[in-house]
Amino acid sequence: MSMLDTLLLISLLTVLLTGLGQRVTFIGWIATLLLTAQLLTLLLMGKLGYGGEIIDASFGFSILGQPLNWRYDALSWFFALITIGSALAGSAFAAGAWGDQYRKEGGNPGLLQFSIALNVLAMLLLLGSGDLLSLFIGWELVSWASLLLMVIAGGRASEFGMRYIVYATAGAMAVLAGLAIIFQLTGSFAYDDLAAVAPALNTLQIVTLTLLFFFGFGIKMGLLPFHLWQADAYAETPGPGTAFLGAISSRMGLYAILVVIIQLIGLVRLIEIEIPYSFLSLRDLLMWVAAISIIIPTFIALRQSDARRLLAWHGIGQGGYMLIGLLVLDPYGSAGGLMHVFNHATYQAALFLSVSAVIYRTRTSDLNRLGGLVTRMPLSFLVMLIGIIGLAGIPPMNGFVSKWLVYRSLIIEGMPLLFVASVIGTLGTILSVYKLIHNTFLGQLRLEHEHIREVPLSMTIPMLVLSAIVFITGFMPGLVLDWVGSAQVALGMPQLAHTLGGVESTQGSLDMIWVCSVLFGGFAVGALLFYSGNKAKRVHQLDNYAGGHFLTADVRYHYSDNFYAGLMHHIGSWYRGSFLWLESSLISVVSSLSGGAQLLYNSFHPALYLLMAITLSLYFFIG
Amino acid sequence: MANSILLTILEVILMPLVAFIVGLFMVLMMRKLAAKLQRRVGPPLFQPLYDIVKLYGKQTQISHGLIHDIGIIMAVGGYVAAEALLPVPGMDGIAAKGGLVTLAYLMMVPSLGLALGVGQCANPNGSIGISRALTAMLAYDIPFIIVIFGVAYHFGSTNLVSIIATQQAEGIAGWGISEMPILAIAGLFALHASLGKQPFEIYIAPAEIATGPMVEMGGKFLGGLFVMQTFQLYTASVLYVSLFLGGGENWVTFLIKCFAVLAIPVLIAYLFPRYRTEDLIRLVWKWPVMLALLGVAFVMN
Repeated sequence: MSMLDTLLLISLLTVLLTGLGQRVTFIGWIATLLLTAQLLTLLLMGKLGYGGEIIDASFGFSILGQPLNWRYDALSWFFALITIGSALAGSAFAAGAWGDQYRKEGGNPGLLQFSIALNVLAMLLLLGSGDLLSLFIGWELVSWASLLLMVIAGGRASEFGMRYIVYATAGAMAVLAGLAIIFQLTGSFAYDDLAAVAPALNTLQIVTLTLLFFFGFGIKMGLLPFHLWQADAYAETPGPGTAFLGAISSRMGLYAILVVIIQLIGLVRLIEIEIPYSFLSLRDLLMWVAAISIIIPTFIALRQSDARRLLAWHGIGQGGYMLIGLLVLDPYGSAGGLMHVFNHATYQAALFLSVSAVIYRTRTSDLNRLGGLVTRMPLSFLVMLIGIIGLAGIPPMNGFVSKWLVYRSLIIEGMPLLFVASVIGTLGTILSVYKLIHNTFLGQLRLEHEHIREVPLSMTIPMLVLSAIVFITGFMPGLVLDWVGSAQVALGMPQLAHTLGGVESTQGSLDMIWVCSVLFGGFAVGALLFYSGNKAKRVHQLDNYAGGHFLTADVRYHYSDNFYAGLMHHIGSWYRGSFLWLESSLISVVSSLSGGAQLLYNSFHPALYLLMAITLSLYFFIG
Repeated sequence: MANSILLTILEVILMPLVAFIVGLFMVLMMRKLAAKLQRRVGPPLFQPLYDIVKLYGKQTQISHGLIHDIGIIMAVGGYVAAEALLPVPGMDGIAAKGGLVTLAYLMMVPSLGLALGVGQCANPNGSIGISRALTAMLAYDIPFIIVIFGVAYHFGSTNLVSIIATQQAEGIAGWGISEMPILAIAGLFALHASLGKQPFEIYIAPAEIATGPMVEMGGKFLGGLFVMQTFQLYTASVLYVSLFLGGGENWVTFLIKCFAVLAIPVLIAYLFPRYRTEDLIRLVWKWPVMLALLGVAFVMN
């Protein structure tokens, strides 16, 4: 029995135990314990992260003569680490006080834990897939498992979940069509056969396959123009569930794109294919889809007034950075893209958890109904602060390092517009995350929140651990770049040479250990200067300049609504909902088509069609 | 090895100190120029220093909470750190370990610190000011980042030390301004907007939002912002000199270049009125962005 078998077995055990023990009050802790066991098993497989041998699963079977097998390489290990890590953070957060409150409100924390565990198992299977058929099976498992997590809350969540599954099914159909073409071409679903045949494929075949898979897998990432489902579907999930979904779920799309398009079909082919009547190659087209997926969702996030939706929209935008970096095809860009998967998971989970902490105490995530909580929940504030610095990609947090790698490769490879597009995304993110922390934690504390206290330890510890990871991997990015380097090798890409502090190169280096130390030295100087001044007196928040009036507690003195009025005056008209229009027109096309089909079936000979369908399927299975 | 680390640490300590002193004189120059244009005498030599000492020593110091304090510390500290990434004659600090992109992002730390500190004050005037300031940052950072791309692509490196060395090796003809004049104009435009001086000082707007971010700042809090301003003037002009004017061969030419670069936006500032936020966005996204893109197109051909 290999380590991989053990890992999958423990994961299966987690699913079974959480599924059977719905009524047990301490089920959350059991799930946390079992996820910890999964993490430890994965760490025992840690050699993979440093260029170790591929680990095969000892089981495997065949369907219709096609073998199915599972194995872990460095790339799978890297993604699995992020999956289990974010699941563990969410599960631990939900295990204690949060779960008790959730139960009191009529929720079922056991079901939440079960869904997280099920998602982890599905993802681990997908990440381990050793051929296209098992990849597809894993893909479908992940799709349906995440639907379960999305609709747990009921009510509007089911509506958004339904919307998701329509998108996901469309994606799956595209993937299936792609697989059918590959099977036609190679006669097997093995990775090696596709990789062997790929260089000989003609342009039309490459374009068709690339677009089918990019569409199919890209839907999961929320790439434009298929981004509408994601933020709503993620944001409605109960607290820790959003953290898990936001951290890793849509990255499964990236993993599949990596394996099928970048590794098997090969980026070099995509660069060679020119799109007629444009200056773009097929690769450039995909990069622009990624760039637009950075900008538009980021600016949609800027306009949200609900903390969870704001973060969920940013999740889509950050996915664009990963893809754009990986498509550059130099060691810096691909390392940046892969590292951003890890970094994004850490700060996004921390951010969602801190928003969940705020909801736990205040019962709302409406950014116009909060404010001033920093004096009541300082630790949650700290977590959110570290998280937003990471999300915005500012030193010293880890988000900066991965974005730096992406920027640098775009500069050196000479892609000015893509570079500017990704920086515009970052700037928009800074505006939006400041609004998040300002409207939640800064400004005036509302009267009804006077009595609030910090959340209990069972919730603060997972948040603080995540924040610590965000900082430490920003301070010493080499820790993650080791794993990223091995994943690059597994993908057949050039490996990034790196140091513990970053990279060294004649074309521009980065040493985060120095940069962070100097930054903190600077803060020390600033503090020295500040505290050398006369001692300051703390005043009450109502002791404030109000143009000659006296402030009282019933006066709302917090600027939160329409926060960037000047900017919205200018770009507000750009949000005209053309994508909503696109979606609704697609819906009407599909519904009229299906209506037509139904009419045809009902009014003519239903029995005949049934017979035809049966004959065809019999032919398929027997013939 | 140990020696070079010690030397770097020494430089990292010295560079912000130099920056502070030069920055004080830059503030003085700014005030003197304003006075000349308004036919006044202007302040004496040490006035900027007196102001800082006065503010830090004031009896009344009002704090709205820990984040208010930390915000000011971050605002000053971020710039202190940024100076270590800006090479000056004889000292490179950690410029080679960070580079242009890191510097550009490190320069956002002070803005973030200030924004946090002001947010804690719970004054809508301050928050409106920050909303305007961040919007302005979104406006001017776009041409600025295009300029950075153009320069880095032209010199094939994001390392400021090698960018300066390349320019100095080729003399004036090799300076960024001679090779990329259009980018240099766009850069000057962006630099002016980044300083938040007239006509781009909408986020301070004393008559409308009671000086915006500064509304709850007094004593050492305002003093911290004063120190931040000295660093800001220094950083902006030195960065421009390093990108386009060949950096500093020696301290004399270096300082002349820096003060001359700064004098341009300052002179414009005191001759022009103020733009509204939306007009600022429109102006900055149109002209410098177009210029910068044109400049990049030339660089890449």
